[in-house]
Parts: sequence; structure tokens; C-alpha cells
Amino acid sequence: MSISAQDVSVRLGEREVVHGVSLTLKSGQVTGLLGPNGAGKSTLMRALGGQLAHSGSIMLDGEPVAQMQDVARARRIAWLPQSRELSWPLSVENLVALGRLPWHGWRRTRSPADRELCRNAMQLMEVDALAHRPADQLSGGELARVLMARAVAQDTPILLADEPAAGLDPAHQISMMAAMRQLAGRSRTILVSLHDLSLAARWCDRLVLMKNGRVAADGAPGAVMTKAVLARVYGINAEMGHDECGMWLAPLGLTQGDEAR
Amino acid sequence: MNRRLLIASLAIAALVLMLVSMLTGPAGLGPVQSIRALVAGGDEAAMLIMREIRLPRALLAALVGFSLGVSGAALQGFLRNPLAEPGIIGVSASAALGAVLMFYTGIAGASLLALPAGALAGAAVCVFALIAIASARASTITLILAGVALSSLAAALTSLVLNLSPNPFAAYEIIFWLLGSLKDRTMDHVWLALPLMALGWAALWSSCRALDALSLGEEGAAGLGVNLARARLFIIGGVALSVGAATAVTGAIGFIGLIVPHLIRPLTDRLPGNLLLPSGLGGAALLTAADIVARSAIVERELNVGVVTALIGAPFFLWLVVRSRREVF
Amino acid sequence: MVTKRAVESVMAGVTAAWLLAAPGLAQDRLPTVASLNVCTDQLAMALAAPGQLKSVSALARDPMLSAMPEEAKAFPANRGLAEEVFTLKPDLIVTGTFSLHNTTGLLRRLGFRIEEFDYSQSLATIPADIRRMGQLMQRTARAEEIASGFEKKLAGLTPLKCRRKPVAIAYGQRGISLGPGTLAHTVIEAAGFENLAARVGLDGMSPFPLELLVASPPDLIILPGATPGAPALADEALSHPVLKKLPGTVTASFSRAALWSCGGPFTLDALQELHALAERLTPCKPETGS
Repeated sequence: MSISAQDVSVRLGEREVVHGVSLTLKSGQVTGLLGPNGAGKSTLMRALGGQLAHSGSIMLDGEPVAQMQDVARARRIAWLPQSRELSWPLSVENLVALGRLPWHGWRRTRSPADRELCRNAMQLMEVDALAHRPADQLSGGELARVLMARAVAQDTPILLADEPAAGLDPAHQISMMAAMRQLAGRSRTILVSLHDLSLAARWCDRLVLMKNGRVAADGAPGAVMTKAVLARVYGINAEMGHDECGMWLAPLGLTQGDEAR
Repeated sequence: MNRRLLIASLAIAALVLMLVSMLTGPAGLGPVQSIRALVAGGDEAAMLIMREIRLPRALLAALVGFSLGVSGAALQGFLRNPLAEPGIIGVSASAALGAVLMFYTGIAGASLLALPAGALAGAAVCVFALIAIASARASTITLILAGVALSSLAAALTSLVLNLSPNPFAAYEIIFWLLGSLKDRTMDHVWLALPLMALGWAALWSSCRALDALSLGEEGAAGLGVNLARARLFIIGGVALSVGAATAVTGAIGFIGLIVPHLIRPLTDRLPGNLLLPSGLGGAALLTAADIVARSAIVERELNVGVVTALIGAPFFLWLVVRSRREVF
Repeated sequence: MVTKRAVESVMAGVTAAWLLAAPGLAQDRLPTVASLNVCTDQLAMALAAPGQLKSVSALARDPMLSAMPEEAKAFPANRGLAEEVFTLKPDLIVTGTFSLHNTTGLLRRLGFRIEEFDYSQSLATIPADIRRMGQLMQRTARAEEIASGFEKKLAGLTPLKCRRKPVAIAYGQRGISLGPGTLAHTVIEAAGFENLAARVGLDGMSPFPLELLVASPPDLIILPGATPGAPALADEALSHPVLKKLPGTVTASFSRAALWSCGGPFTLDALQELHALAERLTPCKPETGS
């Protein structure tokens, strides 16, 4: 399933946060959404997920997202917000099972198929050993993986994740991105926003860079991650290279006489 | 604890307590005589006592307790705050104000439904105001303070209306409205309140999914396909209907909606939607027990049932506040 | 020898004596009276000469508390405040022993004469109160007339012809009954009834549990009228459905609500109405052929 945005603009209050963004995400790809703070990444993702009013059109395989019923949309797009809010110390098992809500309707019982999907999601995110642990006893990284498992359990063709790797240690960051690749391999459409440029360069099939609410660059990591682009968008100097696994990138410092705007 | 076992035990506890409630009273009827009078008739006086005085009282205690328990659980799930309950956040006091406005101005005399309608309106206005003041990311402090403010305002206005009444008894009746009482309630009260409360329960039950989804916050819930505006409407409506109808016939009874979900939550899987029914049954049991105590505690006098629930509930609330400093739910 | 100076001094002396005696002469007019309490209001209204009673309390116009609401409208109303009374400058102020101690203390300090009346707790003390009020108001002849009329009617009450002594209870707002120690109790007993509150042991004004009323139903329940146009929960106790379902129990109210709120000549009307009600009660109904 593909999701495409045509000339999308989003206003938050009086400010226009996203200006005329057009892009198409295809299935089977992990797309990384990058940009400095305040570039409009979260806002764009929320608009794509049908959570925000926008001008322009956002289509899901030709169907406008804005006109979809809430439940129908939730069965096609899984949205993992940046804030890892959790109000009650639910067990990991129950938390992940929340991802099955859009499929339940009025019935609140879990079928064997539901349980299977949840189990698979937990195994993918490597939290199946924690199934019975209450969420308030998890570390930050464990909670992040559990919440991702919830989004995976939702079993949707499209997954939008807002900074899922934030605050994770390097090993967990890598395993998170590996899991994204696996999901993409199963024909899902994945969009993740990231701050870690190296992680993005190495694990994403495609990168979209935003600056000031507009798309500044869009393409394969090799094409997008150039010194010129990084200096223009982030205002930083970086070294980059390729090895047998993919691309690597190391930010070095700020560009001379330039404030990252 | 297994969910079925929990619900069954709570239901049995509530029924047993209702039975004890019907065997409690100043008339000194023996157990066998009471049951026979209730079911089969026989001694006219005993039958009248059981069917016209004790039965409505026991029924109302259970129904009102159920409403308060389920409303407390729903409010806690919706506001994502374990200290929310209809009494503390001012819903009961506002409902009482609405009822008082209808009753003492004589409007309630014109139409039977005017009294609960006033209570419903009062409750709904309060919940609306609370949601406006204490929005999604407001802290516990904001919520409780807003509740205290609304509760105090409602109590002050209630006192004003009562003092303005030409009837000399009115000013003293504030004790009934703000502390609640089940004394001498009739079957008419039961029939008046029950349909409205049942509607309220239905509205709250239909928000089960939304409450579960809200565990992940408003963004997370929206991502799971929950229509937040609709959920908000049903929760407000459900709480207003059940608490409003209850308050219209018994006055404002507090703390049931706070204590019961707290005691029961550790026995469930902590999903807010799964807490509704057990909280309702627990509330029915607790209020019936409080009413039995209100009648038996002091010889020859009857306490307002709200006094008993406050004596249990206020210290419990204090304990929760102390505990919440360590961020334990 | 009568000199001009002697005549002048005699005349001066007479004038002086007359001037000194003038206040005494003025004392021969009736003392003006103000009443601050609804019970003393009614006694005073019954005894006052035209123009003697300067003010009665505002409560005297309330038909729920006063048996003479219409008569009270002829007099200016006071709320028992010292200022109102002060401007009237009455020779005598009458009030109850339990009302407004601050006000009575202040008025005494201002030099007014205040007489306090106990609330009449029994039929038997009413004539004495009437006579005392008559003496204070210097209307002793009128007082004697009313008091002896009261005593005569009380003594002349025919006993009830009942198979057994009928049981009655005075059941008021908020389910409060009037037991031994209240005026109502003496009226109930004088009419020939047994007071259910006394049998159960509830003295004075006490909450009477509804269940006890149903468990040992009296022959007569005396209800107050509801306050017209001003609803209160207190009235709900009087309209509990169970009261209408008690077999053999009659519920009734007095023609005027406040006949036994205060002790006065009108309290006899309460006695007579109760007496008349007796014929409708089961133990007192005349035996019929079948």
C-alpha cells in the first residue's frame, strides 16, 4: 500500500509549520524522515496519519485519508507517537495487545489469531521474555521496544514512527532499525523520523530531509547525504563512506560562520 | 485474579450485603419473618416495612453505589488520573446544585423529571468545565484544585439557594444535599432514578475501548482509531446521567468512586475498560455496607451515609496523596 | 388672715403638686406594649385594648407558626431588632425566654421593661399565662374572662366513648414526633388519646423512625399542612406512600396549622378538633348492627 502527499500544508495555530510538501512512500521500503528540530517532521507525520487537518491531499492507494473512518484508518496506518505516554502499569502483554483494538469492534475478547500476532510482534522486538512484567518496571529502552511492538501488532500495511530510537543505546538502536527492515521486507510501508544521521544513512532505503517545513532533499542515502546538503540543511560538517553493509556517516562540527537555522 | 472470579465474588458480596441491609432496621423483625414478609406477604405491618421501607433503601444503596463506582472508574480512565472521582472533582456537588435549583423553586413539583434533569445538567456542566480546565497534559494538582474549586462553588451556591427559600426547613437541608442520605426513600425514587442510571451505565460501557486506548495517551488513542470527541461525549453523558440521577434522589455521596477502583485495580489486569464492571459491583457493596453502618453505629440515631463514606474515604484519600509522591498508581 | 402672698404660695403649691402628680395621672392610661415572640404576640393580641399593642413579630403573620395570622396583619411587624423596638418606645416589651438574648440584654440596658414568658409546655399552664399577660398589660378583667372560659371548657370536655383508648401521634416535618414534655402531648392526652411517642419512649421533639410507625400503627396520625408554595424535603417524610397504606389508620390535619405551636386560647380548638375526629376512628366508631 502506498501513501502519497500532494502539496500538503499544515497550520498549527497561526503558524504554517509544513509548506507544500509532496512525497510518495511505497511499500517494501524504510523511509527515514530527517531534519533539524522544528523542521516540521512530527507535524508532517501526524498529517500523514490523518491526525491533523491539512490543505492539499493525502491519499492511501488513491483513497483520501481525511475522509476515512477512524477505525478503517487505524487498520491501515499504525502511528507510534514520540511521547512514550503510559498512564497505567499494564503488563507488556496487555500493552502490546492494545494494538489489536482497531480490529475488535465491540467484542473485547482476543482470538487465537490476535494472540499469535502479538506474540510475533513481541518476538520481533525482542520483548517476549518480558511478557508478564508491568510496564513501570521496564527500562527506557525496553519500553520503547514494547511500544513499537504494539504498533507492529496493529498489523497495518503502513507504519509511521516518530523518533522510535530516541534515547536507546546503540545496540537497541540497531536492533530497532533491523526490525524495521524486516517489516519492510514483508511489504509494509515504513516511515521513521530520526536524528541519528548514521543510523538513518545505514538502515533506510530512502531519506527525506526537511527544513523549515519544506522538503530539502529526497532520495537514496548516497544521493542525499552529501557534504553540501548536510551543510545547507543542518549546518554541520560530516565525513561519510561506504562499507560492505552500507553507508556510514560521522558529524564532525558546525560549518564556519553559520548558525543552523 | 481471574476476571470471572472477581466479578462473581463482588456480585455475591453485594447481594449478601443487600440482604443484611434488609434485615437492619428499628422495627426489630427477625430474619425469617423479614424474608417471609418480603416474598410471601402475611403479617401486614412486616410486609409494609419490608417492601415499602427496607427494599427501596437496599435497592437504592446498591444502584447508587454501582453508579458511583462505575463513574469513578470511568473518570479515572478518561482523565488518566487515579485521584479522580465524582465527589472530589465536584460532579456530585454540582448535581446537587442542579437538583436544589429545581426542587426549591418549585419547578420539580410541576414535572416529575425536572428534578433529575436539573441534577444531570449540573453534573454535565461540571464535567465539561473540568475537561476544559484540566486538559490532557494537566497535572494531578491542576485537576484536584479545579475539582475543589468547582465543588466549593457548587456548595456555596447550593447554600445560597437554600437560604433564599421561604420554607424555614430549607436552610437545614443542606446536610442532606451535601452529605447524602438513604433514609425513608421510596420505590418511586427507585423507579425515577433507575432508567436514567441504566442509560448512564450503557454510555460508559460503550466507552470501554476508548478508555483502554487512552492508556497510551490521546495521540496513541487517536492512532488506534478512537474518536476522541465521541468518547468524551459518551463519558460526560454517562457520568452526568448516572451521578446526576443518583444525586437527585440521595444527595451527594462522596468517595465511593475513589476507594472502590483503587482497591479493585490491583486485582484486575489494570486495563481501564476492564475496571468498570467490578468497580460498579464493588461500589454497590461498599455503599450498602456504609448504609448498614449508618443505621447501626449509634443507638437511636441515624447518621447521614455520606458521613460514613467520608470517614473512610478522606483518610484513604490522604494516604493516596502521600503515596502518589512516590509515583505509584 | 388670707394675704395675697398666701394665696399665691398655695396656688404655686397646688400647681407644683399637680405637675408632680401629672406623670402619676398619666400612668392611669394603659401601658403600650411591643411583642417580639410569636407566642407572646398571640397572647397580647387576644388581650390588647385598641391602640395598646404597638408591634408584633413578623412571624405572627406566618400561618405555619401563628394561629392568628389575619389579626396580626393589623399591627406593624418587627423582626425582633433592638432598633425597631427603640423607635416605638413601648412601656412594656414581652418576649419568650429562649429568643434573642443579645437583643433583650441591650433593650434592658437602654432602660426598657422586659417580661419573658416560658413556652407553654402544657394545657394546664395556659390560663396562668393568660392571667399574667393580663396583669402586665393591665387588662385583668379581659384576661380573667378568657382564662376562666378556657378552664371551664377544658373541664367540660365530654370523655370519649371508645372500646379501647385510641392511639394518636403528632408526626411532623422530617418525621419528628411530639412526645411527653410538649404542649401537643398534653392536648393529645386531654382529648382522650394515648400518645404513641410516649408509649415508645420518645420524649420531646424526636425523630420517630418510620418503621416503628408501621410496626405499631396508631389509629390517628396528625400531620401538619405542607408550607404552601415553598417545597422542602422536610415535607417528603409526610408523603411517604406507606402512610396511606396503613390499614385502620386515619391521617388528618388541623384546620389551622399552628393551633398547638404556642399555648393560647386557640389551643382549645385543637383539643376540640381532636375530640371531634375520634368518631372516625376504628375503636371509637359507633357499633353498627351488622
